Amino acid sequence: MTAATSVLDRLPGARRYWYASGGVLLLAWPLVFGPFWARIGLGALMWIGLAQSWNMIGGYAGYLDFGHGAYFGIGAFAAGVAMAQFGYPFLVGFALAAVVATVVAAVVAIPTLRLTGAYFAIATWAFAEAIKQTALVTGITGGTFGLSLPRSPDSFVGIAAPFPISEAFFYYAMLTLCVGTMALTYVLFERREFGFRVKALRDDQDAAESLGIDTTRVKRQVYVLSCVVAALFGAVHAWYIVYIHPNDVLAPIITDRMVIMALLGGLGTLTGPVAGGLLVFLLERLSSVFLGSTTFYLPLIGTLIMLTVLFAPSGIIGILRGEVDATDIRENVRALKERFNLR
Amino acid sequence: MVDIGLFTQIVINGLLLGGIYVTIGVGFSLAFGVLEVVDFAVGEYVMVGAFAGAILAPLFGAEGIFVIPVVLVGFFALGALVQPFIHHVTTGDRPHPLLMGLVFTFGLATFLRGSVLTIFGPNNRDVPSSLLTGGVSVSGIGTFPVVRTVTAVFGVSALVAFIYYLYRTKGGMAIRAIAEDRTNARLMGININRYQSIAYGAYAALTGSAGVFIGMTFTANPGMGLQYTAFAFFMVVLAGMGYLPGVILAGVVLGLTQSFTAVYVSGNLVLLVLFAIIYLVLLVSPAGILGKGEWAT
Repeated sequence: MTAATSVLDRLPGARRYWYASGGVLLLAWPLVFGPFWARIGLGALMWIGLAQSWNMIGGYAGYLDFGHGAYFGIGAFAAGVAMAQFGYPFLVGFALAAVVATVVAAVVAIPTLRLTGAYFAIATWAFAEAIKQTALVTGITGGTFGLSLPRSPDSFVGIAAPFPISEAFFYYAMLTLCVGTMALTYVLFERREFGFRVKALRDDQDAAESLGIDTTRVKRQVYVLSCVVAALFGAVHAWYIVYIHPNDVLAPIITDRMVIMALLGGLGTLTGPVAGGLLVFLLERLSSVFLGSTTFYLPLIGTLIMLTVLFAPSGIIGILRGEVDATDIRENVRALKERFNLR
Repeated sequence: MVDIGLFTQIVINGLLLGGIYVTIGVGFSLAFGVLEVVDFAVGEYVMVGAFAGAILAPLFGAEGIFVIPVVLVGFFALGALVQPFIHHVTTGDRPHPLLMGLVFTFGLATFLRGSVLTIFGPNNRDVPSSLLTGGVSVSGIGTFPVVRTVTAVFGVSALVAFIYYLYRTKGGMAIRAIAEDRTNARLMGININRYQSIAYGAYAALTGSAGVFIGMTFTANPGMGLQYTAFAFFMVVLAGMGYLPGVILAGVVLGLTQSFTAVYVSGNLVLLVLFAIIYLVLLVSPAGILGKGEWAT
């Protein structure tokens, strides 16, 4: 009891009760609300984590990676191939996903990170499409048939599990990964010197270089890190979803969602992807539940991106922090009107 | 043993396809030159153009080709109205303006694709064209499919008209001046809002009408946009960003690569081959194969 209160005392100010109750809610979520809400919750957690992984390279480092979804797919297929083709347990697949993603990202990083801005975006995008096409024609990934992963509700590939491999189990797996990703981002990018180097290279690469920062090295580190995180989520997702197909786990929409969530929440902020991820994920689910349309969220998301870029480039977090207020928006509208002066 | 008849037929098909791709590539390259933004919505303009053909054709005697003037005018207006938004997000005091421009067009692309998908559903739609069917056989060379031939002729004539405007008129000179240096062009008394809108509108009109022809040649599908975005990227990367003559060569290379890969390798691998080429060119010669484009860094 005293231990718990002393931990609480160390949290900042009156907010500690919010943090504590939020933590309790997250832990109790699947037990209280049942498998349906556990599924919704684990989806939200996965997307928040993926958005955060994109935020590392896209937000903190300022490199728009339009092929990030490829690593989600690489992770999914690494775990899938290990489990379905070779019959290894999940943890081996999980480790393999990390290794494969590290190797691929490190190799891809060397030439690709020489490019910046739009060229980097195009090159990564091309890379992702190439990976998808490759997965569709190679045998080990199941080609156009996809891969079915072995999963039974009560055992880890032959070894009896002490608890059921159910929705709740995957919820906690995603929760662990997501919280881990958040903690990693917090420590690396907000607390450690590494984060300052990354932000320096984003804001002015030449200036960063002149201060003795090895920008090439830092860029590669961020890229590999963010890719590996995405791959780990891919691995867990593959095991959860049981059937993976290149058109699903390597679809361009996966990258799209990550970009949108991070952008909408606020690029280069710790909490931005959480806010954006929750909003976009819920918007997508609610529109499919209430409007009966599985595609209506696309124009909605498109409009949201355009409005965010036009009026609140620092995202939801920017609005909450008061960086963007009504005056800024009015000013933006006025400047925009001037651009329509075509005569 | 290479069948020489098949070979020439592939060359014909490739060249004819290249004709329409050049139309898309030239507009795209110009939009980049003027607005300095890589437009992720390019393929979606093609897709919306193809759908406009499919939806509007019944009103024009079920002939896709009669929709072209409507699409030209409509897309010009659309582009002219979209341009101020892009201009706004790429200028001003926001952080990383160029990335914001990229993300804005990305949002526009998602919006266009999602709207068409939601309104018309995921199915293929044909753009009717009873006038343009069959093919003309030339003995000893091969068959010229009428649709593709008319498409290529349209592409080349649109291109010629466009190049004429760009290099022989005052308005075209203003656009080239903006592409060269926006601030200086403004100081010379050019209304940059107006000419940027004209340039972007012309690009949208070219791309949209190319979409109608592509719809007639193949079919209209809400998901087709991504492929043409990829094609447009391919052309400008190969040509060198903002270097117009290179785009013509790149469009022809694209048409030929597509038809040769489809026949001799596999239709599924067309995109893979294109992406491999994009990747190599970006890494080996970032200013395009002719080395005359803007240096890609």
